[in-house]
Amino acid sequence: MHELSVALEVCRIAEAQVGSDTVAQVVTVALDVGDDAGVEVSNLQFCLEALLGEPPFSNAQPVIHLCRGDVLRLAYLEVDDDRPDN
Amino acid sequence: MTVRIIDVREKIMARNDEMAAVVRRRLLHTGVTAFNLVSSPGSGKTSLLERTLDALQSDIPIGIIAGDVQTQNDADRLAVYTNRLVHAVVTGGACHLDARQVQEALGALDLNTIQLVFIENVGNLVCPASWDLGETAKVVVFSVTEGEDKPLKYPKMFRMARYAIINKIDLLPHVPFDIDLAENYARSINPGLRFFRTSALTGEGLDEWFDFLRASVGEQCST
Repeated sequence: MHELSVALEVCRIAEAQVGSDTVAQVVTVALDVGDDAGVEVSNLQFCLEALLGEPPFSNAQPVIHLCRGDVLRLAYLEVDDDRPDN
Repeated sequence: MTVRIIDVREKIMARNDEMAAVVRRRLLHTGVTAFNLVSSPGSGKTSLLERTLDALQSDIPIGIIAGDVQTQNDADRLAVYTNRLVHAVVTGGACHLDARQVQEALGALDLNTIQLVFIENVGNLVCPASWDLGETAKVVVFSVTEGEDKPLKYPKMFRMARYAIINKIDLLPHVPFDIDLAENYARSINPGLRFFRTSALTGEGLDEWFDFLRASVGEQCST
């Protein structure tokens, strides 16, 4: 259930990283999620797809890398600078 | 298409953890001990707190933060036992309390007149394990009607807790619950757990819990 809270925080961090003017150019949001992170991965994927498909994002794709331990972090962003800012 | 990669590597819970650190410093500064009670729904957290307030509130000034998904029922029950503010946090569907909510709740409590705070978390053995609230320690409560393998099913919660209360022991003659096996399962997850066996209904085992709380007043945050 708290996957939505996690997804919202991912969006906040991503927007803070690239700035609100550039957030629509984000094409990939990559996360590292540990098997002891207390997160249901498919639920998190669902929440991220829902949020990243809406403004201020523009259909960015979540990529979740599974790992060991309680890791839960935003690993990297891919930004397409040529993507039109709608 | 020109794609550039921004290396972030930021903990998603970082902002919550920062707020938890603020809460922890605030508790440390005021010398207040805070226990975060976590459990599945119906384990008896509120009943346990009712008995605790009834027994100790004349000796120890106690503040309560009562989290619930949808109602203030628990806060209303607890308010009967104290003249102090019982701060209700209705999460509106969220499955856990977070550090921001606790920080705001502490603002409503007068910490300078309190020595002990109980945070009654939302009934859920999964999500609250992942959220640091800045508490002194987590206390996991489970009851004899839940099955002795709860620690194996929810290992993170038992790993994050420092204390475990096995409640409703008055029902032991009526349910197939091996209490020693339950403790062994929990110790296999967290060897350092300290246990209390209680019945909030009959009062059995509560004296040890009360003595522990009296001794804990003033304990500084270390988790």
